[in-house]
Amino acid sequence: MDNIAGTKSSLVWAVHLATAALVLLWVLPTIGLLVSSFRDRDQITTSGWWRSLFPAEQNIVYRAGDADTQRQDGPLWVIDGNVFDGAGGEVTAFGVNSRAPDAFAPGAEADLKDGVKLAVQANGDYRLTAPAQFEGRSPRIFVSSVTPPRFTLDNYRRVMFAEGLGRAFLNTMTVTIPATIIPILIAAFAAYALAWMEFPGRALLIAAVVGLLVVPLQMALIPLLKLHNQLGIGKEYIGIWLAHSGFGLPLAIYLLRNYMVGLPREIIESARVDGATDFQIFLKIILPLSFPALASFAIFQFLWTWNDLLVATVFLGNNPDQLVMTGLLRELMGSKGGEWEILAASAFVSIAVPLIVFFAMQKYLVRGLLAGSVK
Amino acid sequence: MTMKRSLCAGVAVLALMGGQAGARDLKFAPGEDARLNWDSFEAFRQDLSGQELTILGPWLGPDKDLVESVIAYFEAATGAKVNYSGSDSFEQQIVIDAQAGSPPDIAVFPQPGLLRDLASKGFVVPLGDETAKWVAENYAAGQSWVDLATFPGKDGTPGLYGFFYKADLKSLVWYVPENFEDAGYEAPKTMEELKALSQQIVDDGGTPWCIGLGSGGATGWPATDWVEDMMLRTTTPENYDRWVSNDLKFDDPIVVNAIEEYGAFARNDAWVAGGAGGVASTDFRDSPKGLFASPPACYMHRQASFIPSFFPEGTVIGQDADFFYFPAYAGKDLGQPVLGAGTVFGMMKDSPAARAFIQFLETPIAHEVWMAQKGFLTPHKGVNPEAYGDETLKKMGDILLNATTFRFDASDLMPGPIGAGAFWTGMVDYSGGKDAAAVAAEIQKTWDTLK
Repeated sequence: MDNIAGTKSSLVWAVHLATAALVLLWVLPTIGLLVSSFRDRDQITTSGWWRSLFPAEQNIVYRAGDADTQRQDGPLWVIDGNVFDGAGGEVTAFGVNSRAPDAFAPGAEADLKDGVKLAVQANGDYRLTAPAQFEGRSPRIFVSSVTPPRFTLDNYRRVMFAEGLGRAFLNTMTVTIPATIIPILIAAFAAYALAWMEFPGRALLIAAVVGLLVVPLQMALIPLLKLHNQLGIGKEYIGIWLAHSGFGLPLAIYLLRNYMVGLPREIIESARVDGATDFQIFLKIILPLSFPALASFAIFQFLWTWNDLLVATVFLGNNPDQLVMTGLLRELMGSKGGEWEILAASAFVSIAVPLIVFFAMQKYLVRGLLAGSVK
Repeated sequence: MTMKRSLCAGVAVLALMGGQAGARDLKFAPGEDARLNWDSFEAFRQDLSGQELTILGPWLGPDKDLVESVIAYFEAATGAKVNYSGSDSFEQQIVIDAQAGSPPDIAVFPQPGLLRDLASKGFVVPLGDETAKWVAENYAAGQSWVDLATFPGKDGTPGLYGFFYKADLKSLVWYVPENFEDAGYEAPKTMEELKALSQQIVDDGGTPWCIGLGSGGATGWPATDWVEDMMLRTTTPENYDRWVSNDLKFDDPIVVNAIEEYGAFARNDAWVAGGAGGVASTDFRDSPKGLFASPPACYMHRQASFIPSFFPEGTVIGQDADFFYFPAYAGKDLGQPVLGAGTVFGMMKDSPAARAFIQFLETPIAHEVWMAQKGFLTPHKGVNPEAYGDETLKKMGDILLNATTFRFDASDLMPGPIGAGAFWTGMVDYSGGKDAAAVAAEIQKTWDTLK
């Protein structure tokens, strides 16, 4: 028996280790994204996020202060300042020519033309002196430096205070909530009928629903929009509710039907014997018992409509009163996708609401995931 | 209840937004800035109040603010209300909207190929001979702008379907003047000098070029610009036109030669930052950053006039970075060819307001308002060149006006599966080491299947 106990404890360790490793593997990309969301564009392009926690070696090109910041010091004209602009760091070398950016050690004095001299200290302070008044553009200072880790909230600031974000949030809610509720309502009725009401062609109907699961929604975009235009709905919220409901229904019906079919037959039959109508059975017995499945589908549908960009782009206009959050965040990136550094930050901003929904309904999700899988 | 409440809130905010849009500010008060042609603004005044116009275009963010600053003058002159919305998936959206029957009144196409497609399916309203005549007379190289936007309609009769507004210049080489000074280089005037300079930079221990082709689903397009520029510099404009229409086959030695001319730069490990292998995998938005690295990762970058938006923050064009004309061979008598592109306005639904808007684009003021800000070039001969907001734009405008040959981006004119497909992927393959003739033959094979 001791033996068995001993094996068990070492196995537990192995399981824990494996779990930890797997969790780490799955969480790693998210951590990377989170770290990146606090870095500015230049940092993201020059080094990986895993290096952001350590002091980084950097080559900076710094433009010395403007000519109108100069002052007179005895016979000399002086421009001074700090190459880190106060952010801190340590200069390891500096230069005045792009061909030799690390020609001088900190503290040394470099000669530029016309008697102009430049000295850069290890802490980044520089002093540019000249016998005559500075004119035109100030020279560039090339600095090799070690800079401490630096993080910024700029990305979040830009996303959170973007023009129209509040509006877009409302729009997304206007799309998401009805687009989650409508398919659940319809699917619950349909699933009950398909599971517990006897009528000819039921099996065929179920097969058709399962078949619809594999139809890609992209195929339906143009015909559906055409239909909406002909019906006079055009690009309105009602249109996108209908579209989302339609695209969500096959999965919803399939999921709920499989769950309801697994409910104990005895309860339903005894209710029938007691004289309950189908509607009463549905309302009083099936619905409460199917709550986990309903909730889990609600989460699925909510997440899908929340993250959706394609359906919203097609069925809603691009104007501010119809632009959803995903569309707005994409627009923030600019005409040619140049502002991509806000992507990570916007991912975390837009994930906030789904996270709340997920944690609020998490216990149903786990139960609901098993819905229909075990009979 | 939640749904209803958010709906009500939505309606309330909507009403609020509507109020704001109505009071759009004019960037320059009419009559004040003498550089702008206010007579044309006053002359355009007409009454369209109560009418609405929707415009869909590719411009977002700062570009959207700029186009809206122009639209504001149209609103002020007519009283019509314009809703501009931008989309970065414009190409897909306009096709869906047109086919489903809910297009905007006016669509702004980033390239004419898509407009041609939609026109041939009958989704675009022809602008008429008057407009064609106006463009031919008032644009520099006017007839070529007319030809670029003249397509067969659904019934096969050709007509003018688009109005070009806002040109882009592609034949530019960007560099950092101070890096050139430090090393004692001069901006080259001929292709021979450019190649000699590239070699000299290598001999001095530097790397001359930064080239990046990465662009998501459109990876490869920067190389098509290179090849088009090389076509114009190695063969006649007539051959270029024949190439666009496939009279000159893609695998013709002339085209293969142009591809190899590009390869002379991009496939030379010593000439490209990161080596030839890095060309296809570097994003075009990141590639110009090498110019500003310390020590410089490269000295030159060939890219269109829009690229400064991807320079590091705070870069001053004309001082921190500048450009020169991507030169032509002195040894070949082909003049000063310029490659460009432009956005073209198409009328999707016929209405008095839409007609009026196209007319508005003919007025100098519609060009000058954007010129006086940034990022706008125009072939309109009637505008005041002094209106350009900065020296850089003026210099670009000069290149555009001094061009002996102006040709539109070929890949934008070729059929979609070539110009936005096989040509791109072929260039990626070529940059990756595949043989030029084999790549060209493959593109031609794809083209043959389209006929």
